[in-house]
Amino acid sequence: MAERGHGTYIDIPVQYGEGVIVAGPGQTIRKVIVCRPEDGGGGAAVPEHIVAERDSVTELCIAVLPGVNADFPIAVDITGSGASVRISGFYICGADESVKFCIRVNHRCPGSVSEQLFKGIAGGVSSVSFDGCITVAPGADGTEAFQECHNILVSDEARVRIEPQLEIYADDVKCSHGATTGRLGEEELFYMRSRGIPDTEARVLRIISFLSPVIAFAGTEGEGLAAEAEAAVRRVVGGNV
Amino acid sequence: MDGILLKINGLHASIGGREIIRGLDLEIRAGEVHAVMGPNGAGKSTLSAVLAGKPDYTVTAGTVEFMGRDLLAMSPEERSWAGLFLSFQYPVEIPGVSMVNFMKTAVNAHRKAAGLGPVKASEFLGMMREKMAFVQMKDEFTKREVNVGFSGGEKKRNEIFQMAMLDPVLSILDETDSGLDVDALRIVAEGVNAMRGPEKAAIVITHYQRLLDYIVPDVVHVLKEGRIVHTAGKELVAEIEEKGYDHF
Repeated sequence: MAERGHGTYIDIPVQYGEGVIVAGPGQTIRKVIVCRPEDGGGGAAVPEHIVAERDSVTELCIAVLPGVNADFPIAVDITGSGASVRISGFYICGADESVKFCIRVNHRCPGSVSEQLFKGIAGGVSSVSFDGCITVAPGADGTEAFQECHNILVSDEARVRIEPQLEIYADDVKCSHGATTGRLGEEELFYMRSRGIPDTEARVLRIISFLSPVIAFAGTEGEGLAAEAEAAVRRVVGGNV
Repeated sequence: MDGILLKINGLHASIGGREIIRGLDLEIRAGEVHAVMGPNGAGKSTLSAVLAGKPDYTVTAGTVEFMGRDLLAMSPEERSWAGLFLSFQYPVEIPGVSMVNFMKTAVNAHRKAAGLGPVKASEFLGMMREKMAFVQMKDEFTKREVNVGFSGGEKKRNEIFQMAMLDPVLSILDETDSGLDVDALRIVAEGVNAMRGPEKAAIVITHYQRLLDYIVPDVVHVLKEGRIVHTAGKELVAEIEEKGYDHF
């Protein structure tokens, strides 16, 4: 296994198991998956393995609404130059949910792009964990790989654990990761209230704005998702989950 | 109501157990602009924070009536709906929230409190544009996140813009002149002056004479050690500038 800082790259060939999604040369795949408790969580639709071949475009957006327990391991193998993979998601937890993402992106060839953007709200006694590992293989020069995971805690008991990891074995790459977990600022809330925005509205506005880049990414397939997310945020902020 | 908008009686307020306001009395009538001047640490910003209802401050004694209502019993949003506006000394950045969204939410909250339905989109945008021109803000301003990446001058102009949008009865300008260059100062002052009227009043809190060259006050107070120690007409500004605060 590779160790941080001075690892050795071990080349394990791509395994094409059951349920693998392959974005063939030049192909575009877009998937928006909304996980609602009434659909049994909807997690079955989330692919465990994606292979991105030459010049393909893969866009995956996962929305996890309150009341869903989720455990999503997703492995991404980028095998062809010019491929791009965007995975984004948001989760809204307000009760005792457990939401886990474990995303492994392997850049196996030169000149490909991956982007991950995850945003979440953790309230109640929920727990969120996000493991994200980006590996850039030897010779995979020109790779651009970005990973962001940002969270807002809305209760004292909720827990968020984020573990970003970069393993880079090529020289000419652009890679970054960002991870934050914080609370809504009291100064911000007072500022909004001083303009006549009620406390609850101020919190909802701030959280929806925080999630909106991911909601926007869901695009047309996500129609109605914005309203659904807003209603969910309202329930979590109001403690009615 | 004999024209009295704000009546502060024997106000004491503290933060973190430290008393900052120590027996403050102040009366403001409709149509008046009052300047509150004082040295650093006199309690100027505490006064504005207490009037706006900032949660960190505790009022330990005294009363504040705003248009006949008990201001201290009202939440910050209720104070805003009632017509009170605070222009912040340090406007707060709200990442992710666009100006247009922020203002629309604020305006609609005011309308809801007044028993009105939400404002029409076209009407609202017209109103935004008009008030933006008022403080010389560019069109892109509507899409920017509230105060994020704004220069010092833009932040203060944004405060005056919001004031114009919400059309308050009593405006409190907390050191609105700090960090402003002459041009921004003039824009801000013109904005404030345009909003003067027989039904309205303003409290201009400042260290320096500068802003008061543009916004000429009716009454000037010296605030020191948490109390108003001297009150006079606009001629007091020049006296303070000449002699400082020590002899009050």
